[in-house]
Amino acid sequence: MSRRAVMIRLTALIMLLAFISAPNLFAPVFEPLTTNNAPAIYNQGNLLFLTMAHLGTVFSAALASTLVAVLLGVLVTRPSGVEFLPLSRSLVSIGQTFPPVAVLAIAVPLVGFGEKPTLIALFLYGLLPIFENTLTGLTQVSPLTLDAAKGMGMGPTRRLYEVELPLALPVILAGIRLSVVINLGTATIGSTVAAKGLGEVIIAGLQSNNTAFILQGGLVVALLAVLIHDGLMMFERLLVRRLGLGPAAA
Amino acid sequence: MIEIERLTKRYGDTTVVDDVSFGVEEGTITVVVGTSGAGKSTLLRMINRLVEPTSGRVLIDGQDTRSIPEDDLRHRIGYVIQGYGLFPHRTVAQNIATVPRLLGWDRKRIADRIEELLDLYQLDPAEFATKFPHELSGGQQQRVGVARALAARPELLLMDEPFGALDPVIRAKAQDDLLAIQRRLRATIVLVTHDMEEAFHLGDRIAVMDQARLIQYGPPAELLTRPAEAFVERLVGTADRPFRLLSLAKVEDALEPGLAEGEPVAASGTLYEALSRLMWCGRQDLPVADGTGSVIGRVSITGILAYGRSA
Repeated sequence: MSRRAVMIRLTALIMLLAFISAPNLFAPVFEPLTTNNAPAIYNQGNLLFLTMAHLGTVFSAALASTLVAVLLGVLVTRPSGVEFLPLSRSLVSIGQTFPPVAVLAIAVPLVGFGEKPTLIALFLYGLLPIFENTLTGLTQVSPLTLDAAKGMGMGPTRRLYEVELPLALPVILAGIRLSVVINLGTATIGSTVAAKGLGEVIIAGLQSNNTAFILQGGLVVALLAVLIHDGLMMFERLLVRRLGLGPAAA
Repeated sequence: MIEIERLTKRYGDTTVVDDVSFGVEEGTITVVVGTSGAGKSTLLRMINRLVEPTSGRVLIDGQDTRSIPEDDLRHRIGYVIQGYGLFPHRTVAQNIATVPRLLGWDRKRIADRIEELLDLYQLDPAEFATKFPHELSGGQQQRVGVARALAARPELLLMDEPFGALDPVIRAKAQDDLLAIQRRLRATIVLVTHDMEEAFHLGDRIAVMDQARLIQYGPPAELLTRPAEAFVERLVGTADRPFRLLSLAKVEDALEPGLAEGEPVAASGTLYEALSRLMWCGRQDLPVADGTGSVIGRVSITGILAYGRSA
């Protein structure tokens, strides 16, 4: 990463932290966007708290998606699980095609308002990228490497943990990154069913026709997405280097 | 001693290996040679049970391999494949340590063994131990592949086209290195190749396979002088048969008493090399020296030609 790129990201991070911890400092910037003396800064909740709740929802959903998708990916690439590959592929794809709003609509009557329906929607929505990348990662491991591993007397479990998963890890991580970034944005709709999150700010803005609110919510979510995306990418690169896979394999 | 008894592998109606039997003496190299699709690799992979035979069995020192758990068996048998299959996410040292680690050797013993093997293969441990496979040249990868297979002192080393991915110059060097190491460790090797030159160069015995069957099994010279079928004859090439024979025979085989002028040739060299020297320097004969450098006789063009005819 060039010096300039680092500087831009660092500035963005500092601005973001400053804004969510002391939003009133930025009131003059948002003032021109308001009419009829409406408040310039979101005042119905603590931005820092909302950001934390938003991240909490996204990461718990991502954790659950990762566990399920990776496990499923491993199972259907084992000789005994190959039969379930088409089935699990369709199931996971349905999770992605079903709009999260529709999932919320179905989930609310079942589990009530709040965090739960949002978690369910995000979990389903985030499965596909992780599952597909797990499949790609596991199937692209060189058959020669696996043949050598088997020929040296590594059992199936050892082959999975010591050869297949480490070699697939960069691709799996890319899937998780994709899933997290998509869900950072998607999570805003959770606020329509009373989940705590940054969607609240945007919805409040929409309801009171306050552009300043909409912009604040949108900006914070966008900055979070960009910064987390870059952060995860840096982590992946570091890992690839640590694993000795070289720049070519990345 | 490895005994292969009536090994057969069928996939549906196709017979890939058909009733193959032969024995491999300890400390020798047996080369299985044949055209592609002849069943060589399948035969090799049945020895370490990567492929389960349809019928027949393999005995290692009298013990049926089916009575040994698969992974334990494979820990005792080194395995080198074309392309080597080195673990790309592990260093050279970690790659070599694979089987010793599976066997639960302690750290010190593994480290010593890695150093020993890298030295044996003329790879400086300080430089190479921490390198990753993608940082090595093809020749170096090949050496690491063999070192990894030898790490736990296997009773048998299986090699499937181990030099196939190397360019000709490096390949010749790699073959010589393998021979030197095999002689030194007295390793038992079964090697599969489609390259007849390689088979003659490396094999103490050669097994010729065609269309799933073992056609001939014997020392290289026997393939030349008594080819079992027209196929073997074609494979070894009739035109340069005498030259192949000369390259198998040692100078001492055609040693004559007496003295000659010129730079002595080594008794342990091949007649092929001696003839080449004689032709190049335009002499009828040259003195022959033994390992210590003292002259023990002479070798002549007429003597070599006579040997070539008599064989």
